[in-house]
Amino acid sequence: MKVSYYPGCSLHGMAVEYDESIRSVCNAIDVDLVELADWNCCGASSAHFIDDELAVRLPARNMLIAEREGRELLVPCPGCFQGLKHADKELKKAPSRWTDESYEGRAPVSHVSEFFHRRELLEKIIQEVTKPLTGVAAVAYHGCASQRPPKLTDAESPENPITMEELLRAIGIEVRPWSYKTDCCGASLTLTRLDIIHKLSGDLFDAAVEAGAECMVTDCPMCQSNLDTRQTEIEALRGTPYGLPVFYITELLAMALGEEKPDRWWKKHFVDPVPLFRNKDLM
Amino acid sequence: MTESQKQKAEKSKVGSVMVVGAGIGGIQASLDLANAGLHVTLVEETTAIGGRMAQLDKTFPTNDCAMCTISPKLIEVDKHRNIDIVTAADVIGLEGEAGDFRVKLRKRPRFVDLEKCNSCGDCIEKCPVEVPSEFDEGTMSRKAIYKRYPQAIPGAMAISKAERAPCVLTCPAGVNCQGYVALVSDRRFEAAYELIRDRNPFPSVCGRVCHHPCEAECNRQELDGAVAINNLKRFTSDWVAARRSEGEDACPPQVGEIDPDKSRVAVVGGGPAGLTAARDLALRGYPVTLFEAHEKLGGAMLLGVPGYRLPEEVLQRDIDDVVAAGFEVKMGKGLGRDFTLQDLRDDDYAAVFLAIGCPLSAPLDRSTDGSELTGTDLSGISLGVDFLRDVKLDRGAVLSGKVVVIGGGNVAMDTALTASRQGAESVEIVCLESRDEMPAHEWEIGDALEEGAILKPGWGVREIVGSDGRVTGLKLQRCTSVFDEDGKFAPSFGDELSQADADHLIIAIGQRSDFSFLPDDDPLWNETKRFVHADGVTLQTNVDWVFAGGDMVSGPASVIEAVSHGHEAAESIDRFLQGADMTEGRDLPKPEAAALPDWPHVVRARAVPTRVNVAERVGYAEIEGTLDEEIAVAEAERCLACGICSECLQCVEACSADAILHDMEPEEVTIEAGALILTPGVDPFDAAIRGEYGYGVYRNVITSLEFERVVSASGPYQGHILRPSDLEEPKRVAWIQCVGSRDVQSGNDYCSGVCCMYAIKEAIMAVDHVPGLEATIFYNDIRAHGKGFETYYESSKRQFGVAYRRGIISSIKERQQTKNLLLTFVSEDGKVAQEEFDLVVLSIGLRPSKTTPELAAALGLELDRFGFCRTDALTPGRTTKNGVFVAGAFSAPMDIPETVMTASASAAMVGEELAVARGTRIREKEYPEERDITGEEPRIGVFVCRCGTNIARVVGVPDVVEYASSLPNVVYAEENLYTCSTDTQIKIHETILEHNLNRVVVASCTPRTHEPLFQETLRDAGLNRHLFEMANIRDQCSWVHFNQPEEATFKAKDLVRMAVARAATLQPLDDILLDVDQRAVVLGAGVTGMTAALSLADQGFEVALVERESEPGGIAREILHTLQGDDPRALVRDLVARIDEHDLVNLYTDAEVEDFSGHIGAFKATLRQGERVIEIGGGAVIVATGGAAHQPTEFGYLESDRVLTQMELEESLEKPDFAAELEEVVMIQCVGSRDDEHPYCSRICCQEAVKNALAIIEANPAARVYVLFRDIRTYGLDEIYYQRAREAGVVFIRFDSETPPEVKTSEGLEVRVIDQTLNRTVLLKPDVVVLSAGVRPHPEAHSVSQALKVPVTADGFFLEAHVKLRPLDFGSDGIFLAGLAHAPKTIAESISQAKGAAARVATVISRPTMFRSAVVSEVDTARCAGCLTCVRICPYDVPVIGEDGVAFIEPASCQGCGLCASVCPRKAIVTKHYDDKQLVPALDAIFGDPEYETTGTAVSGGAS
Repeated sequence: MKVSYYPGCSLHGMAVEYDESIRSVCNAIDVDLVELADWNCCGASSAHFIDDELAVRLPARNMLIAEREGRELLVPCPGCFQGLKHADKELKKAPSRWTDESYEGRAPVSHVSEFFHRRELLEKIIQEVTKPLTGVAAVAYHGCASQRPPKLTDAESPENPITMEELLRAIGIEVRPWSYKTDCCGASLTLTRLDIIHKLSGDLFDAAVEAGAECMVTDCPMCQSNLDTRQTEIEALRGTPYGLPVFYITELLAMALGEEKPDRWWKKHFVDPVPLFRNKDLM
Repeated sequence: MTESQKQKAEKSKVGSVMVVGAGIGGIQASLDLANAGLHVTLVEETTAIGGRMAQLDKTFPTNDCAMCTISPKLIEVDKHRNIDIVTAADVIGLEGEAGDFRVKLRKRPRFVDLEKCNSCGDCIEKCPVEVPSEFDEGTMSRKAIYKRYPQAIPGAMAISKAERAPCVLTCPAGVNCQGYVALVSDRRFEAAYELIRDRNPFPSVCGRVCHHPCEAECNRQELDGAVAINNLKRFTSDWVAARRSEGEDACPPQVGEIDPDKSRVAVVGGGPAGLTAARDLALRGYPVTLFEAHEKLGGAMLLGVPGYRLPEEVLQRDIDDVVAAGFEVKMGKGLGRDFTLQDLRDDDYAAVFLAIGCPLSAPLDRSTDGSELTGTDLSGISLGVDFLRDVKLDRGAVLSGKVVVIGGGNVAMDTALTASRQGAESVEIVCLESRDEMPAHEWEIGDALEEGAILKPGWGVREIVGSDGRVTGLKLQRCTSVFDEDGKFAPSFGDELSQADADHLIIAIGQRSDFSFLPDDDPLWNETKRFVHADGVTLQTNVDWVFAGGDMVSGPASVIEAVSHGHEAAESIDRFLQGADMTEGRDLPKPEAAALPDWPHVVRARAVPTRVNVAERVGYAEIEGTLDEEIAVAEAERCLACGICSECLQCVEACSADAILHDMEPEEVTIEAGALILTPGVDPFDAAIRGEYGYGVYRNVITSLEFERVVSASGPYQGHILRPSDLEEPKRVAWIQCVGSRDVQSGNDYCSGVCCMYAIKEAIMAVDHVPGLEATIFYNDIRAHGKGFETYYESSKRQFGVAYRRGIISSIKERQQTKNLLLTFVSEDGKVAQEEFDLVVLSIGLRPSKTTPELAAALGLELDRFGFCRTDALTPGRTTKNGVFVAGAFSAPMDIPETVMTASASAAMVGEELAVARGTRIREKEYPEERDITGEEPRIGVFVCRCGTNIARVVGVPDVVEYASSLPNVVYAEENLYTCSTDTQIKIHETILEHNLNRVVVASCTPRTHEPLFQETLRDAGLNRHLFEMANIRDQCSWVHFNQPEEATFKAKDLVRMAVARAATLQPLDDILLDVDQRAVVLGAGVTGMTAALSLADQGFEVALVERESEPGGIAREILHTLQGDDPRALVRDLVARIDEHDLVNLYTDAEVEDFSGHIGAFKATLRQGERVIEIGGGAVIVATGGAAHQPTEFGYLESDRVLTQMELEESLEKPDFAAELEEVVMIQCVGSRDDEHPYCSRICCQEAVKNALAIIEANPAARVYVLFRDIRTYGLDEIYYQRAREAGVVFIRFDSETPPEVKTSEGLEVRVIDQTLNRTVLLKPDVVVLSAGVRPHPEAHSVSQALKVPVTADGFFLEAHVKLRPLDFGSDGIFLAGLAHAPKTIAESISQAKGAAARVATVISRPTMFRSAVVSEVDTARCAGCLTCVRICPYDVPVIGEDGVAFIEPASCQGCGLCASVCPRKAIVTKHYDDKQLVPALDAIFGDPEYETTGTAVSGGAS
């Protein structure tokens, strides 16, 4: 299976472990990732504040490339995902407004959990698990952007997604029920309104601990970095030691599928996951 | 149409009506029609009538028990001889036209004979399948055979079936997998074993070795893994074996009754196929001889399956059972070796079944290079099948060193495992196939790998290497593919070479049959001459008396496939010997399997049996264990019962009435009907659509309908309020309103109209049930717009402390430790707040029933965009199809009283349509002649009701029964689960006859609802109905003393003792036959009165229509438009014109009722019309005297001409420039409504405001309109207009009743209001202020009330007999009410009520005579002193002092209330049936009883 791949800027920078682990998982289950040729910035986080036209044109250029490639497009960052979905819908609505080319939507845009959760890939993952991560209790944290608004994301169950949950179960992780899987962590305000971050993310940590989780799993680079980097200061503020490693779903999938050097990723985590793995005899 | 055609059309009208949907609406319509001379077919989709109302616990605003109020109606319908109930049926087509329809119905099979089933419930006990109960909204389960609810009508059981479960359809031998799994879950292991054995004679064997294709099809795989069906089979067989080993006679083997006169049959081969066929034939009575070549039976099960998978003693127990069927076994007899087929023929065997299996190994004879393979004869080489057989027969070789097994199938895996048990140090398995292609089952390969075998897939044997005549190894060549493009075996090889050392080589590459007994030219050969030919269906060979099956036909296959061949062969031989058709009914296509059921499932992992660790395995001891009993039961409970009924046939066994019909088929019937009434009702909104509330995810979030079941005594917690997660009593409960109502997102932008009130009721119930419970309702607007609702709402706050918080909850969070729920909302002070609750109830809205689109399509009706039935506002109840009417919530969301009113209205419209056919299709009932009991000693039967748990939970019912038996004159006593159920009526009837009873006492609920039912039963049994007495041990005992069970039991005994004492004194009374004046009187000629009069006239009745004013039309003449845009004045003109024309309507204007007298069936009124005095009369009367508009004095109305009422505004808007000049308009709601003096909601003012606001904006888009309101109550579909007004820019400002707006009229208008949402004062300077002035009772209502002696409420509107189920009746029989006289309402609602009242009248005056109760008061003229005491006290003004100076009581008018008798100072009045001679013994029984001191003092309370 061959898919187009749009890593976006995050995965080239701070979320490089997300990129690597996606590639590792795909490699293990025979998914051939082809990075979108000559891709450009999706415009997320700023374009739509500044210029509606630009907010479409930037991602639309990528979608037109993807259309030419004619393959499903995997987009790991929910920011990019939203932008590209938006462009895709606009292009479908009135192609001539944006391009002289024809546009039929031949490159459906997918996000990570939803993509790997697809029946044939899930089955493949189940088949190829060599190192089940048994004993680890986690909460799946989807965050908001990959799910809402459903009109844009086409999320099947935006209030209660179950894709990441089933993937985690497939690799032996105990998924704890909780109510905060699509609540906002505040990531987009991480530089401007720390008070809001402390409240929103702090509530998530409290809820995760109450749910009996030992770690949090996400598929959003903003959520991951926000929850990972801000955790220590929130611990200090709330006087609660959380110690919750925050994983990319693909890091854990890759590990269960036999990735040889997952350790290189753990070094990039602020909350060190190694004690958790040691504790569970997984390292 | 010519006149004669018209007449012909009239003649052909059918006097029968079909009512579709048997909820309370359908029931009311049916009763009204049937009581007015039309026959009814009442069609219901489910298996019982009762609809949604039956599911409810209590009803608002009176808190009556829903079941108690509807149950007598159910019974009335059931008992009504002119109503036929058709359940489990759908309307699928309509032919003909209004007056003469033919309706096509599809009746789904009930699988239970309605006539035979006596509702005993024995089958329910035996049924092992549990599924969620629809009636209980999934809060509890029911069996596959079930009664929808305890009081269900019809009372007969029904069985639910889906398609058959995939496991059952997949089993080659047709074993009922779902059935035995269900029986295991019910711990009925013997029954499970017998069900398996029915189709599989080898449960113990197959429980171990079956490749279980059933599990591969199990729907549960989609969730969390297939049910371990095969392990359950093994558990079952081992459980039975264990009982037997303890000496129990568990599941004795089936034994055939051999008929020596039947033809003899030979079976050749003692494997699974042969043994199965021999057993089946023996069980069919054939003398059978089975020939087995070896000295032991079992075939491949014995010789091919190693002991670690199937111990020999386990095999033996199955074989012993099979042989017990009664056939002869000849051991050591091999076909071709010891006998021939001709020998069998000569021995008079009329048929033979060959099942000799595949006992030979296929040879390895080709090298990968295509040449003949040499070296196969070296020592150290053996063949797989031979090797396994030799080991089994204890002559197996002892191995050592390295063993190589060639082959990739199951035999090769068994060979490998056996080789290591025979001493091999290492085992390597070499096969041609790649790992993925290996034919062995994955679990068998796993077993081999687990014990250390090394797999070498993808290699062919190039050469066998040996030295000194002994094998030393192999040369191998890479196999690149095994099969060619057509899938044929044609291996090709690559260049890669390899080798393997071997001390022993075992070749296990296939099995073959031994056909050496067949000459080359034998006709049995198939074309290839490699197999015996046998027909795919019948297994008959080319020689007609010879049949063949099992591995010898199919090639090596499984035990279960061989068993299936055995069955087929037995069937074929039976048919062959009887000369029957060999194929009929056999070669059918596989039916569609049931899908995964859509009810919620809890994820639970599949059970895994224990396995002995590799290191601990000893010899051939079994590796896998049997499931423990508890694990097995839990595993069986994982079964989703996809087929619902498993057809295990336990019910058939349990049913002593022979009522179960598993092969019932769907049926289509055509029924004649002159008209149709549709009352299919509503479905609750699917709360899961609003994902943010976590319904279906959070266990403590439930729907309001589920809450009804939770509160119900027959619900999951027996009426205790508990929450699902931990079954603890919740202390903080929240209701969230408008879930799926007023919700554009989910497409339900209408208001469901009922949720506010039911939520208030549920909150009151919750507080009432659980001391200290805090109830909070989160709402948008509280819509308490119905009669008595506003006071109910207020009482919920004051009396019950229900808290109300305004605002929509946007999400619910579940706390993981406690499973409590966190709700976020904006608090009164404008801050975001969070509150924790133990339980959250979602007030789900109403949707048109899911099946209505199909119904509409079948009938050719139009629906609106929501799926409600399209009607016009001013012709409510008329669908787009002539002759088809609609009532209840299918026309728009509505509550129970509105449903009842619209149902009656539809009955009136049908009555108009079918007036000529009235009485043409009805049946009269004949009762048996009454038994004369004169001179008999009292013989009393006592029936004590448990009322489910309502009584039995508190009162010791068996104790009471025992006590009752000991009372004087009691000859019979028993207890019943529900004494009111249909089956108990039959029981009472039978008991009266059997024990020659002449009095009956029922100790149960209240005579108010249930006495008529029991009296009817007495009549049916030939007893006068007054020989009946009731003791109220529920309402007056178990309910009020619920926490004093012991004392309550004593009291119940006291009550029963009193009832028995009185019963002994009861005497038969004859009911009074009255002549009926078949005319009607309608008071008030507004829209309501005119509509009612015309409806009656169109139904063929003469009507006197009386109007106080000089012109008819009433208040509607002052209304210019309705919200929907209709013109009421045009309506009035039309009604007046029709009345003028109609011969049967006599309109009296300027007429006052001066005198009113009479009784049901014969009322008389004296009218004064100026100077004239007119006498009118009728059998029934409708009060339609209307209401009035409130004339405000508040908000500056009297001071300024720019303060208007809505009516005045509407009139002004007619002036062309009025709206154009308006810049700003302020409307004030609730003027003269919902205040201390007028504590009711006027219901129509919000619509008026919205209507006029929209009109202003339409005329002048620049105008600013502000509506100051408390709650906007645009209920039902009118919500759309409210939404439209907001979209149009009308500003709605909420104010608190404590801080009403202030209007200043000096120097320009000024309105000051505190906006409750903003918590700020808003200053408005409008051009006009418009007051939404409320509705008032008609000023003359009191005089009408006095003249007719009918009651009014505290608000001054007339009071109906029962606000829920008798909204159009007065307590006095024969007098009805409609329109504004009843309560504020819209014109459309008035029209509907008018028609409804007309239908109620028709039930009285459609017959020339009627019966009245004999329970009336009678004056003993000799004792009467003419003191007037009775005259003064009678609430119905019945007694009069005649010319002789003594009182006279008209029996037809007397309501039998007994007030007069109780006050008469001379004891001159006796109320029959309540004579002192009857009441005093009851009192004596209690006070005269010596035990009373000890039993009666603890609890005090009234008798019935």
